[in-house]
This record gives sequence, structure tokens and C-alpha cells, in this order.
Amino acid sequence: MGLVEIATGKVLSSFSVFLFLTILLLVVARRISTSVLLFSVQSAIIAAEVFATGFRERLAEAYVVGALILVIKVVAIPRAFFSLVHHLKTSHDVNASTTPTQSVFIAATMIYLAYAAVHSYGQSVHVPEDALAAAVALILTGAFLMVSRNKALMQMLGLLVLENGIFLAALTTTFGMPLVIEIGVFFDILIGLLLMGIFTFRIRDTFDHLDVSKLRRLRG
Amino acid sequence: MILLMPLLIALLGAFGVLGFRNPRVATRAALLIGGLEITSLVVIVWQVHERGALQVGRYLRVDGLSSFFLINIAFISGLVLVYASGYLRHIGERRFSSPRWFYALVFLFLFTMISVCLSANLGLLWIMMEGTTLASALLVGFYNTEGAVEAGWKYLMVCTVGIAFALFGTIVLYLAAVKAGMNPVAALDWVSLMDAAPRMGFDPHLVKLAFVFVIVGYGTKIGFVPMHSWLPDAHAEAPTPISALLSAVLLNCAMYAVMRYDAIVSRAAGPVFPHTLLLIFGVMSMVVAGLLILVQRNLKRLMAYSSVEHMGIIAIGLGLGGPLGLFGALLHTFNHSVAKSLLFFSAGNVRHNFGTLRMDKISGMARTMPQTSAALVVGGLAIVGLPPFSLFTSEFAILSGAFTQAHYFVATVFLITLSVVFGGFAYHFLRLLTGEPSRTPVSSKLIPSEYSVMGIAALCLIIFGTRIPHLFSVLVQEAMAVLR
Amino acid sequence: MKVAINVLQALALILGAPLVRGVVARFKAFLQRRQGASIWRPYSDLAKLFRKEDLVPPTASGVFRVVPFVLFGTTICVAAFVPLVQPSALLASGGDFFLFVYLLAMGRFFLSLGGFDGGSAFGGMGASREALVSSLAEAPFLLSLVAVAILASHADIAGMVAWTLQQNIFNISAVHILAFTSLAMVVIAETGRMPVDNPTTHLELTMIHEGMVLEYSGPSLAWIEWASAVKLHAMLALLVALFVPWGMASSVSVGAIGLALLLYCAKATLLMVLLAVIESGMAKLRMYLVPDFLGVASAVSALAVIFTTLVKR
Repeated sequence: MGLVEIATGKVLSSFSVFLFLTILLLVVARRISTSVLLFSVQSAIIAAEVFATGFRERLAEAYVVGALILVIKVVAIPRAFFSLVHHLKTSHDVNASTTPTQSVFIAATMIYLAYAAVHSYGQSVHVPEDALAAAVALILTGAFLMVSRNKALMQMLGLLVLENGIFLAALTTTFGMPLVIEIGVFFDILIGLLLMGIFTFRIRDTFDHLDVSKLRRLRG
Repeated sequence: MILLMPLLIALLGAFGVLGFRNPRVATRAALLIGGLEITSLVVIVWQVHERGALQVGRYLRVDGLSSFFLINIAFISGLVLVYASGYLRHIGERRFSSPRWFYALVFLFLFTMISVCLSANLGLLWIMMEGTTLASALLVGFYNTEGAVEAGWKYLMVCTVGIAFALFGTIVLYLAAVKAGMNPVAALDWVSLMDAAPRMGFDPHLVKLAFVFVIVGYGTKIGFVPMHSWLPDAHAEAPTPISALLSAVLLNCAMYAVMRYDAIVSRAAGPVFPHTLLLIFGVMSMVVAGLLILVQRNLKRLMAYSSVEHMGIIAIGLGLGGPLGLFGALLHTFNHSVAKSLLFFSAGNVRHNFGTLRMDKISGMARTMPQTSAALVVGGLAIVGLPPFSLFTSEFAILSGAFTQAHYFVATVFLITLSVVFGGFAYHFLRLLTGEPSRTPVSSKLIPSEYSVMGIAALCLIIFGTRIPHLFSVLVQEAMAVLR
Repeated sequence: MKVAINVLQALALILGAPLVRGVVARFKAFLQRRQGASIWRPYSDLAKLFRKEDLVPPTASGVFRVVPFVLFGTTICVAAFVPLVQPSALLASGGDFFLFVYLLAMGRFFLSLGGFDGGSAFGGMGASREALVSSLAEAPFLLSLVAVAILASHADIAGMVAWTLQQNIFNISAVHILAFTSLAMVVIAETGRMPVDNPTTHLELTMIHEGMVLEYSGPSLAWIEWASAVKLHAMLALLVALFVPWGMASSVSVGAIGLALLLYCAKATLLMVLLAVIESGMAKLRMYLVPDFLGVASAVSALAVIFTTLVKR
């Protein structure tokens, strides 16, 4: 039991570092499959965090939520993405509008901004600064991915990273919301992804490409 | 128990109507289900009026405010379903694009919107709000043309991101409640939050932060500037009945969510902060939408921007607060939805007859399509706020509220924008109605399903403009009482 | 006694360098399902080269002849900076990490000069490419060392290692992870390994390091090859010492030194396996992508430095 205690403690104190690494790698990734794999790793880290929190705070709900994350975000969604890429027969390139160097600098700025924002609020809420900063950085990274990646699939991935960040923020500040709400949120995300998948097929069928920067017919 | 009825009817109806492959049978089934739905909603409203708020379990609740918005949903969905029964003769049987799928999705959409109004729990409110986006995305992209697919994708993306921010706001409010000592199980329940609000006021920063995220998040669904980018596309590219549902009902539901949060935050951290934010967003939306109305070329996009403008007006009314402002805002949600539905129905007929919605390609409607032109004129006069139509009443109430509270700047901007919008609509509509007819219409007469709903809407506008029925006024007062 | 150990450390770095090269090549062969040469092959290569004749192009000046010695000299000075089995080194008090970086830079500079001086087109091309890579790699190299130095409050490498030894091994430090990532990328760029440069290429157009040494032969080439092997070994040892130094001997006893040597061999082997995997797994980057690669390293190291302010708060 002592080993589990130590492991839990180490996971809780150091997981944010690995999340920052996944953020940095996500913004330089050049292929969709790499990005999806990084998202899967990210979700796995968050699931570990959920389990550790559940163990430390003796919350049974946390185990259910952690299992949900593992099944849905670590396994099911990445597999769906890979099959989408395969069926859409699209190129694997991410269509980034910023070079890797610029992306990493922007990511570094976002991480710093996240820390700055958390520091000013850190006094009123007693939470580990690293974890909350990692959550805010994930949110900012998700938004950045949605804006700078021109492929429809990458916009979906950016949305998923954003939701990861929001979920992590909820986890670190309040140890999660009531279980029913969490399940509802998961359900929403799943259906949302299903719909977005349907729409990517429609985009590919009507436009013959998946480049959302070229969807500019409706303006004004 | 009766609270569950409209939800069950909508849900079962959605799956049920899928079973009818024959479009005519599907349409009749849909009308039947719609009738049942509206009846159950009216029953609920009546019960609430008689006996006060009702609650079922921990998650469903109806009070005066919810029932007011339920009336809105019931009325407009009735009009839309009748109109759609005739409109759908244009749509053939394709995968995902046939009448039965249309009605199934519409009932799912209604299910989510009614759930939004019936939620007692802010978390459930969020889930159902996201559900409205998901349910309507396929409806927006229904025609599967380039424009429709682009509009649907943009709608899905922008609204999901916006709602994600609203989730963050909900979490922050939950955090503030738990920190103030509330039981975590009850910390998302609206009634408990209203009770515990003064306690949360000791640390107002978190509550204010929550409201900022909520107004940005749900404001994306409402269509506040600068989060409105999805709105003109979605409302213009969707089928006409869906445009009417989006403009008239969905925007109101999102506004309902903001009203709930505004009540909590005003009680916790004082009304100044949330109301200032509402005024800022309202004025921005009014001004930007008003200016953009002048340069529109597509008829339905013009109406979409008008929706943005009117949501700005409602936000201003809400932000002003006080009896006049609140009364005006609530009344305006209803009046605007009626007028906007009328306008969209006319636009649908224009599209069917002229094949396009480009206003520079349409002219001489007054001679070739007199009935539709009449509807357009009535709708246009109503939407710019002229008496004797009902929008004049609500806008006048909001304006009076502005003057009584000495918000002279807001009042001035309000009046100037209204004049600008009037000019814009007059310009656009005069070009449509006068001049040489651009082509002979396919059918210059309206079919019963169309002119009946348009007539009802126009009648409603006139009646409410001359004198608000007493029962209705009482319902509005009950809604206002909930927010105090 | 300590001084003797330091001398032995430096000698081990210098003499064991060809072995490191051989081991990496053997791992790569294993990953690529080849038989591969023996791990002692580089030694026999060096011996062969020392026996051969030294040919100098007629157009070359004195610089050409001097380059191998300058390169070898600076590299063995650099090797004397790095602690191996105990947290001190031969030249530890002689200078800090700036000297480390710029001694290596001096060697590289002279090698580039030699490439130009040889008079062949490939020498010039390799030298100009090397100039690009090294100028871009300088920033992340320095920044990552600066980040570690800020945390350790020491500027000399031995001091940094001593500080790291005192930290708890389980407290994963964000700064160190970022600095390690950045420094690893710099090592790949500086020592001319894939994906920046191919050390086994025969195609002149893809050469950077090989292009510069194309004109050398005999003992001069032997000194240059040995110097690049020592550079690889020294940088790997630097990575081990700065980031995972636990196990180094704190007392001067045979048992402790022996254990530290064993642990060092294990960690170095791990790093060599990692290097072999990266080399086999990635294709060589085209030249215009190398600035991107090093730009990422720069951003990561800049982030490491920024993080030191967050940690020290």
C-alpha cells in the first residue's frame, strides 16, 4: 500500500510537466496520426490524475470517471479518428498555417500566460498551481490548434484538447462535478464528434477537400 | 408527472416518425405529434399559473419564467410544423434528407429546447444546450449544398467552442458555491444557488469570472457580437422552417439560460457587474448588426442580422433591469419570435417562386405576388418597431426603462440604431416590392398551410400591439417575479 | 587522489570514444537487421589511418595542416570538463559551461576553415552548411545549460552535477525535462547524427561533416575522426552527468568508484540505444527543415529558462 501512496503522490505532483510536453509536441506534429496519438497520451495522463485523486480523496465516483476517460478518450476516440482518416482517403498532413518554430514559441507564450493567469487567482483558490496552469494551457492550446490547423479533422482534435483542459480545470479545483453531469458531458462530446465526423464526410463529398480555410463562400 | 409528458412525446415522436416512409403519412403523423406536444405544454403552463412552480425529482422544474418560454416554444413550433408540412413538398427522398428525417430531427431539437427550459440543474441545462447545437446541426446542413455544409460546419464548431466556455463558467460557479459551503450535490441546483447567493457574495471574484465565461459561452448561442459569425450563415442556409425555429426559439432559449445565471450573479455579487456586461454586449450587437443590415444582399441573411439586433435589444432590456426593462425584454422575446417567423415564412415563399434569395435579382413582387408582399410588408413594419405592431410596445418599454434609469447614452444609441435599421429595411424591401417584375412566379397564391400561419402571426402582432391580453401580461409578471 | 581519478576520467572519455561509436553503429545494424561491424572496429580504423600517408592538396595553406591538431586539442580539453564517476573533473575549476560551449565552437570553426582550405567544392558546401547548423544550435545549447545553471546556482559543470546529486530523484523537475529535450536535440545536431546529418553517407550532396573532412587522409584524418568520437562521448557524458548523475561516487574508495563506473556504463548504454533508435527511426531532414528542428530546440530551451523563474518563486 505504501508504494501506491508514493505513486499517487508522484503522479499528482508531476503530471503537469508531462502535459506540457504533450502540448509542445502537439503544436509541432506534422501528421494527423501523430497528433491523435499525442491526444491519446494526454488523456491517459489525465486519467491517471483522476485515479490518483480518487485514491487520495476516497471518491468512488472518480474511478468511474477515470474508467470512462480511458475507454472513451484514450481508446475509442483515437480509433475513430484513425478510421476516419482511412475512410476519408485524405492526406495525412496537418496543414498548419504556422511553422514549427513559430508554433513552439506560441505554445511557450501560452504556457507562460497560463501560469500568469493562475498566479493571480491562485490566492483565492487553494490548488496546486501547476495543475491549474496545465489546464489553462490545454484550453489555450486547443483554441490555437483550432485556429492554426486548416484541416477539418484537426479542428475536431483542437476541440477535444480544449475539452480536456476544461475537464482538468474542473478536476483540480473541485475534484469533479456530480457524476451524472460528468456522464452527460461525455455523452455530449461523443455525439458531437459523431456529428462532426458526418460533416467531414459531407465536406469531402461536396468540396472534394478537407481544407476549412477554403470554406469562404459565405461572407459578410 | 406532467413535466415528463412533453419530453416523452417529443422523444418518442422523433423515433416514431422515422418509421413512416411515405412522406404524406409522415407529415400527418408529425402534425399529430406536434399537436400533442403543444397541448401538453399548454397544460403545464396552465398548471404553473394555477398552482405555482412544479418540480419532478432533482433535475426538472417549471416556474413562471420557464413556462413563459414554454409558451414561446409551443406557439412557434406549432406555426413551424404547419408551415413545414407544405414547405417540404420541395424535398425528395434522399438519405438523411427526407421528410421523415426532417421531422425526426425537428422533434429531437424540440426535445432539447424544452429540456433547457425545464432544467432545474445548471449542469443539465448545459448538457441540453449542447444538445440543441447537436440536434440542429444536421438541420442546418439539410440541403447538402456547398453553402449549407459550410454553414453547418461553422455552426457546429463555433457553437461547440462557445458552449465549452459556458461549461467552464458553470464549473467556476460550482466551485464558488462549494467554497461558500454549499453541499456539492445541491451546488448546481438553481433554487439552492439563489438561496445561497448572498453567502457566495463574500468572494465575488469567482462569481464574476463565472458570469464572464457564461455570457461569452451562451452568448455565442444567442448571437452576441463578436461571437455571432455562425448566425447569418446558419440562418440563411437552413431550410426556412428551421431558420424560423433557430431565430425564434433557439436564441430565446439561450437568452433564458443567461437570465438564470444573471439572477444568481446579481444576487451574489450585486447587479452592477452582470448588467454592465449585458449592456455592453447588447449595444455592440445592436450597432454592429444594424450597420451590417445596410449592406446585405441575401434576404435571409438580412433577417438573420435583424435577429442579432433584436437579441441585442433584449440584452439591453435585461441589462437595464428594473420593472420596465425586464418587462420589455421578456415581452420582446415573444414579439420578436412572432415577427421573425412571419418574415422567414414569406422569405421561404420568395425563394420557392424566384429560385434565389439575392435581393438584387428580385423586384416587382407587389404586382406578381400580392399575398406574400403583404406578409413581407407587415413583417417588415413590425420588425423595425412601428406601431400598431407588438414590437413597438416592448421596445418602448425598454426605452422608457433606459430613460428612467438615466442611461441616456444607451437610449440614444438605441434610437439611432432603430432609425438606421428602419432605413435599411425600407431600402431593401422597396427594391423588392416595386419596379418591373423580374420573372413570373411559379405560383402567386399561397397554399393554406402557408397563409394560415402567416395570418395567425400577423394577427398576433396586431393584437399584441394594440392591447396585450390580460392573461399574457399576468404570465409575464409571474416570469419577472421569479427573477427578483 | 581525486586528481588521479579526474585524470583517469578524462582518459576514459578520450580512449573510450571510438568504442562509443562502435557500439552505436552495432545497435543501428541490429535495428536494421544487419550483421554490423565489430564494436572494436573504430580502433582498428584509427590504427590503419595512423599507418597511412598524409596527403595534402597543393592549394592548401598552413591552416589545413593545423586543423586536426587544434580540433583534437580543443576536444580533449572539453573532455576534461565532464565528470564521469565523481562530481568533479580535471578542469572543473578552470572554467564554466561557456568555456565548454565555445571550446567546441572553436574546434568546429577550425574544421570549417579546413573544409574551405581544402579547395574542393564539397568541402566548401559542407563547411557552409556546418556554419548554419552550428550557429542555430548555439542558442539552445547555451540556453539549456543556462537553465540548469540557474537552478543549481553554479556556473561550472562539476558544480551543477554536485547540485543535481543532492536533489531527490523522484521530484521530476519541469526545467530539467525541458532542458534535457533541448540538449538532446542539440547533441544530435552538433555531433552530426541523423536526422540532421548522416554520418555514414557516401553521397556528397547530403554531407555536412563528411564533406568538410573529404580532403583529409592518414594521421590527420585519424585525429579528426578521433576528435569527433570524443565529442560524441563527451556530450553523451554531459547529458548523463547533468540529468541523471545519481550513483556517482561521493567518497574516494575502490568500491564506490567501481559502482559509479558500472552505473555510468549502464546509463551511457541506454543513451546510445536511444540514439540508435532515433537514428534508425527518422529520415534525414532536408536542409531547409533543419532550422525548424533547431528552432523547436531553441523554443524548448527558452521555455526551460522561463520555467526557472516559476520554480524559484
